[in-house]
Amino acid sequence: MQALPWLLPALVLIVGVVIFPAGYMVYTSFRDLSRFGKDRGWAGFENYVRVFGLDPLPTVLTNTVVWTVGTVVVTVLLSLVLAQFLNKKFPGRKVLRMVIIVPWAASVVMTSTVFVYGLDPFYGIINKFLVDVGIIDEPYGFLKNATSGFLSAMAVAVFVSVPFTTFVVLAGLQTIPHDVLEAASIDGAGKVQTYWSVVFPMLRPALAVAAIINIINVFNSLPILKTMTGAIPGNDADTTTTFMFKLIQNDRQIDTASALSVVNFVVIIVVIGVYLKVVKPMREVNA
Amino acid sequence: MAVAVATAAALGLAGCGSDSGSGSGGDGENVSLELLVPIYGDKTKPYWEQLVKDFEAENSNIDVKLETQSWDDIYNVMTTKMQNNKPPDILELDAAGPAYATDGALYKAEEIVSPETYEDIEPAFIDSAKIDGQAYGVPTVASTRALFYNKTLFEQAGITAPPKTWDELLDASKKISALGGGVYGYGMPLGSEEAQAETSIWAYGNGASWEKDGKMTIDTPEAKEALTFMKKMIDEGATQPNPGATDRTPLLDVFIQGKIGMIEGLPPIVGQINEKAPDLDWAIAPSPTKDGEPVTLGVADYFVGFNKDEDKQESIAKFLDFFYQQDNYVKFNDNEGFIPATKSGAEAAAAKPELKTFLESLPDAKFYPATNPAWGQTSGAFKSDVGQIETKSVDEVLKSIQAKADVEG
Repeated sequence: MQALPWLLPALVLIVGVVIFPAGYMVYTSFRDLSRFGKDRGWAGFENYVRVFGLDPLPTVLTNTVVWTVGTVVVTVLLSLVLAQFLNKKFPGRKVLRMVIIVPWAASVVMTSTVFVYGLDPFYGIINKFLVDVGIIDEPYGFLKNATSGFLSAMAVAVFVSVPFTTFVVLAGLQTIPHDVLEAASIDGAGKVQTYWSVVFPMLRPALAVAAIINIINVFNSLPILKTMTGAIPGNDADTTTTFMFKLIQNDRQIDTASALSVVNFVVIIVVIGVYLKVVKPMREVNA
Repeated sequence: MAVAVATAAALGLAGCGSDSGSGSGGDGENVSLELLVPIYGDKTKPYWEQLVKDFEAENSNIDVKLETQSWDDIYNVMTTKMQNNKPPDILELDAAGPAYATDGALYKAEEIVSPETYEDIEPAFIDSAKIDGQAYGVPTVASTRALFYNKTLFEQAGITAPPKTWDELLDASKKISALGGGVYGYGMPLGSEEAQAETSIWAYGNGASWEKDGKMTIDTPEAKEALTFMKKMIDEGATQPNPGATDRTPLLDVFIQGKIGMIEGLPPIVGQINEKAPDLDWAIAPSPTKDGEPVTLGVADYFVGFNKDEDKQESIAKFLDFFYQQDNYVKFNDNEGFIPATKSGAEAAAAKPELKTFLESLPDAKFYPATNPAWGQTSGAFKSDVGQIETKSVDEVLKSIQAKADVEG
């Protein structure tokens, strides 16, 4: 109790920034809101019933899994390779390290918009390039159908997630003491064996942080899909996040969208819980 | 009834002088007006900033707080404001503005402008957004759609006159598409940006209506015939590839680049083409319809005044009258390239030849049933679903839109 005055600022911050908004979201999901935003009273579980009755929901949930797992796995794999490379000494390493930050530093909407223009079949520079080098015969509308649009958006999601992940892994690599690596080589471990038995286990905490932050980020990502696949009709290229957005903007169902966002919130908490439980990424390394 | 009670309450409050600031009393009371307007283009914000400044110079006791929002955001901003019970005093919006009257939140149209101003406005536009016979919105700008066509491509394809009927349109489009080289006959934007507009032009061209007796009527034989013909245009290669996922603005750029034969457009496009591609040889013709009967989609935006039980009605009227003064109003329309909604403004616009086709199509313009509270979600359903006619059956698409339109909100 004595500590309370010292904890107060932190508590106020947590209540104000985390608990209140989350609580308000849950509260809204149990209200009956008109399409113009007027609160018409208690709705019970009606909004939730409506969410689980939405026809596109199975497609959207599948998309969300593909989107999150696909993007995070590819991002982490690429980052592991890239970080290993950046950990070597070579001329121009500093410059390269800076350059790799760019996709991360740039606004996601801007990056996605650049790709939207680049992939346009009429005047897109990427399309023109692919035609000129002969990979495709004529310009292709990459963002004009759900499958290729969704995959293109995933590629951009990987592109913007790689820098941060690489730097987290790179930081992890730099915490590995040199004598451990030396000991491994004295014991006769080859390069592959050293990596999988010594380096990789010691990267666990860094990978845990990178994976969790990426899962949350990618799962909740709206701008990439909104910018790149927003024009595609139907819900075949929607994740729960973009679907929620369409429920508000196109269908004007604020209350249904609130219920869906609570479901979204629960899903992400469960996913992270399972990840922590099964992968135990925070476990101490016993060499 | 609710409005009458609210007005009475407002008057009562004002009698007590409860919310006067410096309390100079009477006409000199300080009033602050919140004004929320959408951004049409680069000139919108500077225009309003200047207008507010000029107005405040003449009316020192009225403080106008200007807020501008993009068309993408303004609906969400309004929803949030309504949720928090903090609407602006004056709002400019499409017919979704007058629709707030169903929540009993608005002054009547004749309460927010002087009788002289009200008289000057084209009655057709006032009628376009009435709710149960009562107008709540005062029209600010109006526009109709017409067919923009590329004369050079027409010549190359051997087409002598712009199409008037659907069959002529299909025929001409196929001829232009056959030219090849990345050139396509008809630009059909069914992407989420404004799919409801393209669909309405076609459906209205076949006598369809989206509303009957207060109910949304989407899945009708007329609409089905129209969408079936649109699908035929797509299937026979008369349109650009993937119309279902093509947004309007980028497609207009393709027309401006000279690679699309025909596309439906609005008056402001005239200025855009003149600016971006002065060499393009183009012209405007009335929108083709099934039998050549003249009809096209009309859209108007409106001012509405929110009745917040504060004594602001007079100040709102003062500001709007100032806006509708000939000079201010004509400048507004010139900036945005729209057709003025006042009689005096239309006379000024008639002098401009490029607006001729649009002005002539005004009497035949058919508006969205946008005052129906269900129109918002219906229009949203068009945006998200109608593009699917490319891959799904017309029946299925119309049924899904009808279902979304029928959801009780």
